[in-house]
Parts: sequence; C-alpha cells; structure tokens
Amino acid sequence: MSVIRVDNPIFAMACVGVVAVVVFTFREDVPWAKSFDWTLKLSAWILAVRTLIGVAIGVPTPGTPILTVPIVPLPDWMPGIRIGGTVTWERLSSSVSEGLLICSIIVIFGAAASLTSPHRLLRVMPIYIYEFAVAVVIATSVLPQLVSSVKRIRMAQRLRGQKMRGFSSWKKVAIPLLEEALARSLDLAASMDSRGYGVSKKRSKYRPISWRFKDSLVVISALGLVMIS
Amino acid sequence: MIKFSHVSLIYPNSTTTVLEDLNLTIAEGEMVLVIGPTGSGKSSLLRLINGLVPHHTGGILAGDVSVNGLSTQMNKPGGMAHLIGIVGQNPANGFVADTVEEELAFGMEVLNLPHDVMRKRVEEVLDLLSLAPLRNRSIATLSGGEQQRVAIGAALVTHPKVLVLDEPTSALDPIAAEEVLSILHRLVHDLGLTVVIAEHKLERVIQFADRIVYINGEGVANVGTPEEILMQSPIAPPIVHLARALGLKEIGVTVREMRRMTSEFRQIPTGNKVATKPTSAQVITFEKLTVFFGDTIALNGISSKIFAGEVVAVMGRNGAGKSSLLKALAGVNLPNNGSISLLGKNPFELHGKQRRETIGFIPQEPSDLLYGQSVITECEQADRDNELIAGTTSKVLQQLVPGISMTTHPRDLSEGQRLGLALSVVLSSNPSILILDEPTRGLDYQAKSELTRMLINFSASFGKAVILATHDVELVAELASRVIFIADGDIVADGSTLDVLLSSPAFAPQVAKVMSPQPWLSVKDVVAALEGLS
Repeated sequence: MSVIRVDNPIFAMACVGVVAVVVFTFREDVPWAKSFDWTLKLSAWILAVRTLIGVAIGVPTPGTPILTVPIVPLPDWMPGIRIGGTVTWERLSSSVSEGLLICSIIVIFGAAASLTSPHRLLRVMPIYIYEFAVAVVIATSVLPQLVSSVKRIRMAQRLRGQKMRGFSSWKKVAIPLLEEALARSLDLAASMDSRGYGVSKKRSKYRPISWRFKDSLVVISALGLVMIS
Repeated sequence: MIKFSHVSLIYPNSTTTVLEDLNLTIAEGEMVLVIGPTGSGKSSLLRLINGLVPHHTGGILAGDVSVNGLSTQMNKPGGMAHLIGIVGQNPANGFVADTVEEELAFGMEVLNLPHDVMRKRVEEVLDLLSLAPLRNRSIATLSGGEQQRVAIGAALVTHPKVLVLDEPTSALDPIAAEEVLSILHRLVHDLGLTVVIAEHKLERVIQFADRIVYINGEGVANVGTPEEILMQSPIAPPIVHLARALGLKEIGVTVREMRRMTSEFRQIPTGNKVATKPTSAQVITFEKLTVFFGDTIALNGISSKIFAGEVVAVMGRNGAGKSSLLKALAGVNLPNNGSISLLGKNPFELHGKQRRETIGFIPQEPSDLLYGQSVITECEQADRDNELIAGTTSKVLQQLVPGISMTTHPRDLSEGQRLGLALSVVLSSNPSILILDEPTRGLDYQAKSELTRMLINFSASFGKAVILATHDVELVAELASRVIFIADGDIVADGSTLDVLLSSPAFAPQVAKVMSPQPWLSVKDVVAALEGLS
C-alpha cells in the first residue's frame, strides 16, 4: 500500500529488498516457497517490456536527449502518437520508475504467497466467510501447485523429444497444467465438502493459532506506516 | 445402514446410464466390494453414498440413497460428514492441512468437537494406523503408502459409521496394501464399521469381502457373495481363473481354500525348467549409480546390465528408489555419481528425434505427455513427429484400446485408455528401450492383459528392451523375464522372475502360493505344465 502512496522507486526498491531478505531467511523447504523466485523473474520481464514500450511509444516530451531512433511513420488518423524518435532522459527515468512500482507490488504479493501455507491460511479464516474462504484457498493453492507441476510436465515432454524453447512449447505445457490444476481443486473442494467444512458455524481449534501481542504490534505499526505515508 | 432404492444415475451429454434401478441394502458391519471394468461407474456409486454425486458433480439421479435414515436428497455431503468417512482415489489432492496431526484434526475441528475429545482421538488413530512416528511430518514429504494411511486416519477420526474407499491400495506395494486391508478388516470386526471399497486388484481384497457389487458399465449391477459373483464374472482374480482352468466345480477365494482343493495337482512330478541365459546384446549398462535427495540416499551405487529382448520388472517397497532408477536411466534426473550407457550413448545427451528413437518413457501420470485437444490430434502429431504415414498411430491405438472415441478429450478418457494413448504415441517412434513407471495404476484385468500382450510382442521384436517399475506381482508373473528387487537404494535380488518371486512369500503371486512348491507363477504356467504331462 505504502509503496503506491509514496510513489518513489527508491522506496519501492528498498521495500523489495527488505521483503527479499525476510523471504530468504524465513522460508521453509516447501513447494510453494519457490513462488517468490517466480514472481521475481516475472517482474523483471514486466519491467523490461514496460520500459521499452514507455520509451518507444508515446507523445514527445521535452528533455535531455540520449539517443535518437528513427520514427515509424503512422497513418494520419493517429495524431499525437509516435513510435520511435528522440529518447530523452526524463522519459527513460519515468518509465523505469513506473515499472519498478508495478514490479515491487507483484514481488510483495509473491513474497506473501511463498511464506504462508495456503492450508494454514484456510484454518484461520473465520467460518462465516466460508464460501469466500474456499475460493481464496483454492486460488492461492493453485499457484504453488502449478510451479511444481510445470517441472514435472516439462520433463515428461522433453522425453517425448519436444523442443522445450520458445512460446509454442509453453502452450504444450499449459494445457495439461490447467487440467491438472482444475482436477486438483475439484478434488480438494469435494474432500472439504465431504468432511463437513462450513456446515457448523462454530468450529473448535485443535491447536489454536492464537493472536499474540506481537501480532497486534505488527498490525498497528503497519497501519501507522500507511497513515504517515 | 446404507440403502439404495431404485437408484438410476445418468450424466448429462452421456448416452449410457451409469446405474439403472439399483436396489441394495448394506447392513451394519458389512464389508462390500464394488468391482467393474474401468470407467464403469464404480467411483460414481461410491460417491452416491455421501451425496457427492449429484451435489458436487452434477448428473441426474432418480430414486433414493439413504445412510442411517438420512437421505442424500435432503442432505448435502457436509451434513453427512459425521456419518460417512470417504477416501478418494488420489488422497494427495484431498489434504487440507500441512502436517499429519493437523490433517487428522481437521475433520473434528469442523464438526466442532471439544478439545479434549480431539486430543484423545488423534492419539487413538495415530496408534491404530501406526502413524505416531510421522505425526509432525509435512504431508507433502510422505510416501504414497503413508499418505494413504493418513487419508484413512483422517476419515476414521470422526468415528463415522460408514467408511467409503476408492481404490485404497492402487499406489501401495503388496505389503503396505496387506497392512491397510487388515486394519480395515479389524475395524469391521471390532467396531462394526460398515466399509464399501472399490478395487481393481481383486487378489488383494477378495478374501476380506462379505459381498460383491458387480457393475458392468451399462447400468446393470449384480449383487451377491464373492463365490456367486466370481463364478460368472469376467473380472476375477488369478486364483479364480486357476479354478476355472483346472475345471474345479467350486471356486475358492482364499489361498487356503484353493490349496485344499488342488492338492492332487501338486503331487505330479515336473521336470526342472532349464533357465535360458540371455545371449543377446547389451542394451543398457549402468555402473555405480548413486542418487541423493537432500540427505537421503535414493540409490546407493548400484550396477547392472540389461539385454535386448528382456522385460525387466523393478520391484520394491514404496520409496525404495524404483522411480529414481528409472528416471536416471531415462535421462531425466542426473545421477549424483556413476555412469549410464544406452546403446553406447549417454541418455542426457539425447535430444529430439534421436531421443525418441532410443528411448520411450511413460511417467506415472501418462497425461503429462499429452497436450492435444483430442485423441486424434495426439495421433496426428505423433505421425508428423516421426514422419509416419498418416493414421499409423491411431491404428496402433485402436489395437491397444479397441473402441476408443477419436474425438474425446484426453482428460475425459479413463485411466486405462489414457495409458493406451500415451503408449501408442511413444511406440509410434519405435524406440529401442521402453521404460514404464507404475503402468497398472487404475487398470482393470482386461486392460492389463492387453498391456501384457503388447509389451511381450514389443520386447520380442529385434533388439528391444522393456523396463517397468511396478507393485503388481500378478503383472510381473505374466510379463517379466527378469526381476530386479530394490530395497533402500540397493539391489537385493536380481534374477529370473521365477527365482525372485518364489523366494519371498510376500511378493509371490497367488497362483504360486496355491501351487507351491511347484514352480508355477501364473495360470498359463500351470496349464502348460499339466498339458505337457497328459
């Protein structure tokens, strides 16, 4: 939240740095822990694409020129839009910093996903938002499962002698992957249903995850940070 | 306890009825076995009991199913949770918690049981299923057999009156399967639990069943005692086929009964079979193969050679290192140490066409190999990849799985059909070596015998070798020429199928147990030996 409010790429990078340190120190050796690495890769990609587009396409703005690329001629009905032309220092820096903001938000979500077990999340959800909780848990448990399934499927297809590079290879992974994710989620939902999840509004705790003073402190300081920023 | 009255079930967009006018009453404390060919609706029948069908899957249900007086029409699966414990086909997909203890507690938490009751029951179940040493382990790190036990424990912990299990032993080795089934047997006898089980491997469960429900896939269901049903049923364990082949008037369902009936056949003298030493060329050589997973040793410096024309079965407990060996040989997981040579080549340096022609690999989930939108697109893709005349692969497929619909999506195929499709895609490139990881999970007897025939033909053709990892001793008895037995990463036995299987009673097939000390592994062997005499 505060990353958006502050709107400062250096602050955003600092946040990512802190989050990365936290993730690398505390994550356990579990399948979903790897999702942080994946969001890092994804956001690097997004940053590159965002910067390229931000610099190449758009309205000319004044500033210190760095280099000039030839302008692509566009039809008359697209006035004011320009592809190519002089790249100014201001444009480059604003594109990069906007990209960084988007990326840091993605990375922070990735960090949260890699630190929390979706199962544990489900157990602390209050029972009266049952339907919603099931949806959230299934959604969050799909991502880490996808990561581990991708590996298995790519291995199997390499054995079928498929080329494992380029965009089209991803299509071949995506289909079995989505099918498997769907089947798993249905199985999980059926299993929860047949064990009586959500039937009784009250629910006892075998090993309660209790709200400690430490937790209140974290929440209060987070709220405080948001207010200040 | 469970009452099906005039139950008919049909799924939308399907032309065949799954069940038609089924009437069945299961008494308290009964153990009922549901059998039928793959895709005949066994799982649907089981899921009708707690209302997952039709509440969860859709489908049109006529008639009424009630458990202990509660009708599934009036109650959703959640409302029956205190009565029925259900364990699905893939228990790994149904786990809600991370650790064993939390998973066991989950069902009681949602039923809002008091804390002290929960503590007591968790301990009880941990002891009952010998899960105590695993209580704090993360479920994801457990082996298949352990996961199966956790799933059963999680279903039992709420003290249900009915336990429903869908293929509880398909992923287990013979010893673990025996363990799970004897626990169930004890629960039925000690606590009067009602158990409904669906299982393909009849040889494992038949001795425990009180009654059998046989569904043929076209809506007809027969109910009767094991002897009545197995007398006519085309689906029968090897022991029943033996009784039929020997022309016995009655059939026995346990090894003990059959031994009494067949004592005269065991008296006859038989000549010692001379084992033929393979003189063919070496296809695979591996030396000092070592694989680690973190701190655990999966393979501990093992060496062996595999020759052309051999069908080698790799056997061993769950987690003994079978898959690790297969994956190293297939060039998937790089071993930490040691060398592998497939026809003189390193499997990790093979790519594209050359790889397809050297090695074919069917993983545990055959659907990993499939990405087409329909069966026919898969076949066409395989034809194109291997520069074959259009239609070659689909011809192989029709041979292997007759009557498969070419427009179906691979996901909608039954387990056996999917394996058939993956196998024909792999075979279309005519590899020299074929490796299969647990090919018989979820296969019925007919699909298994088709697979056996196919693999024997394949290995008999020039210069081919087949390696498979499996728990299915009956399949090994029919198919394999050699068995490599792995325990804790070491090869503990390596020899002809006859020698290895007969040397350990736990891994001996049913026919061998009945006919011991005669060296016969399958019905085929017995018939051949007796014909040789007369």
